[in-house]
Amino acid sequence: MSNKLPITRLSKFFSDEDFSLQVQIGQEYLHGDINQKLVLYRVNRQKTDKDDVYGEVGQDEIKYFPPIEFNALVKVDAPKNSSYKSGMLRYLEPGNLVLSVYIKHLADLGVDIKYGDYIGYPESEDRIRYYTVTNDGKVTSDNAHHLFGYKPYYRTITCAIAQDQEFRGV
Amino acid sequence: MGIPKRKSDIQIYKGKILTQRREELLNKITKSDSYLPDSVLHDDLDAGMLEFVTKNFIVISEGKKIPVIPKILTIQRWAQIMNTWEFSDDDGNLKVPFVGVIRRPDVQPGTNPSIIRTIPERLQFHYASVATWNGTQMGADIYKIPQPVPVDITFEVTIVCTKLRELNRFNKIILQKFASRQAYTIVKGHYIPIVMDKIEDNSPIDQIDGRRFYLQNYQFTMLGFLIDQEEFEVKPAVSRFFLMNEFAKNTNFQKKYINKRIDITVATFIADGMQTAFGVGESISMLFNVAINGLLQERDVDFFHIAGTSKITFASPPPEGSTVNVTYYKGRNSVFIDSYGKTLQVTTEYFDYNGSTLIFTLNNAIDSVVSLDINGLIQEEGAGFEITDEREITLQGTPVIGSRIGVTYLF
Repeated sequence: MSNKLPITRLSKFFSDEDFSLQVQIGQEYLHGDINQKLVLYRVNRQKTDKDDVYGEVGQDEIKYFPPIEFNALVKVDAPKNSSYKSGMLRYLEPGNLVLSVYIKHLADLGVDIKYGDYIGYPESEDRIRYYTVTNDGKVTSDNAHHLFGYKPYYRTITCAIAQDQEFRGV
Repeated sequence: MGIPKRKSDIQIYKGKILTQRREELLNKITKSDSYLPDSVLHDDLDAGMLEFVTKNFIVISEGKKIPVIPKILTIQRWAQIMNTWEFSDDDGNLKVPFVGVIRRPDVQPGTNPSIIRTIPERLQFHYASVATWNGTQMGADIYKIPQPVPVDITFEVTIVCTKLRELNRFNKIILQKFASRQAYTIVKGHYIPIVMDKIEDNSPIDQIDGRRFYLQNYQFTMLGFLIDQEEFEVKPAVSRFFLMNEFAKNTNFQKKYINKRIDITVATFIADGMQTAFGVGESISMLFNVAINGLLQERDVDFFHIAGTSKITFASPPPEGSTVNVTYYKGRNSVFIDSYGKTLQVTTEYFDYNGSTLIFTLNNAIDSVVSLDINGLIQEEGAGFEITDEREITLQGTPVIGSRIGVTYLF
């Protein structure tokens, strides 16, 4: 394990305790007050049988780790009226699901969200939308994901809708 | 090792051949039993393409057949929903994978080389002659149709799927089917060629944050033709009446030589109602008589003849179908010499019937009778009269009292 390098660049004004406090306040608000819960279905890439040439799998052949409930700030884009073929074969699907997740929260759960994993979002009492992760937001090296320039504290995860035949819950 | 035995009775083609095959095709083309081909219009060609795709482009994926949307997709929105609902999810979106057939709205003038631009102006051409019979009258109907209109229809067969393996199977089936670039579908018994134009991949691979799928288009051109039964013509041909006429010979001109001591010729014509001049084809040396339907005609009144010529000219055309008899001697001059070298003479004697006797005595010994008429109606020897003595003629029937009897005879 590599050595840890303490972050001291803002220590006169914003220390690690301050950072932890801010994150804690945010989590209290997000997890306690807002309480937006989602379910993460992580793909078990080792146990899933893949096609030798293309690495594709058939329907219901993907193996998953046990699903985990987690909290995140949810933003769902507007659906877009699209077509497969120049005005023909139209479809209207939900827009992308954009999640903001505390890095600490994922660390507490002991999970990671990876490209290709599936996420269930209870849209209403009787309907769960499933999405697949198209951008796992692992790269957080920008100002937006840093708290006052101290260090990254959340990830932005973008997901696209998954069709029924692709994934419909475990 | 012996020579391998060869089977010589392998039936390679099990269908019908030659005339039977043509009749089979004709029956398919004229399925509606009208003796004319059934219409082949745009929707028939579209249905033919759809059937072709449904029957041939069968891809099994995940143990299931990739569904083909069973309609030609148009721009009408509700129609697509109606046609695809069984393949749709809860949001009304088509479940992937699927295959759709899209027809381009613009139907172009055809390029089928067998029927392209050969006959202008939509002329009607003979297709069939069909006999008719209405119980009393026999006839025929002439069926005419114009040349079919060649059309090119462009179809795009689109597969949307999520696995490259599905694309491979679909691609293999199409390339096998179109290994010679074209295939055929059958539309109402007609073989319609379909040509593969190109294959395009429109998969949205540049879209990284959206849903990803494969989308490939296979473009085909159907070299079809239009046959519209509204353009057909059925016209009755000349009807045939069943008329019975009895003739000695089935000709309108014949000659008969009376076996007298000299050759007397009877030329017979059947009048057509318009003809006035009748020629016997040889010089008439001595014209004995001219009769229409057995009724003697008066020279220079009813008909005209110039001695030595072959022609008889009537003042007015004899009625259609009537029999014209011309009795003549064709010698070079008016001298009659019989087969024994004896010189004969001809004369005509007239009698008025007074009811007392049917026997008439002539002035000369009869060599042979050329003609005998009662009031101008020629009598047949053996039926109307008999030569009963050297100078004697006896009538077989009783004429009306006062009838005029003329006897022309050689002596």
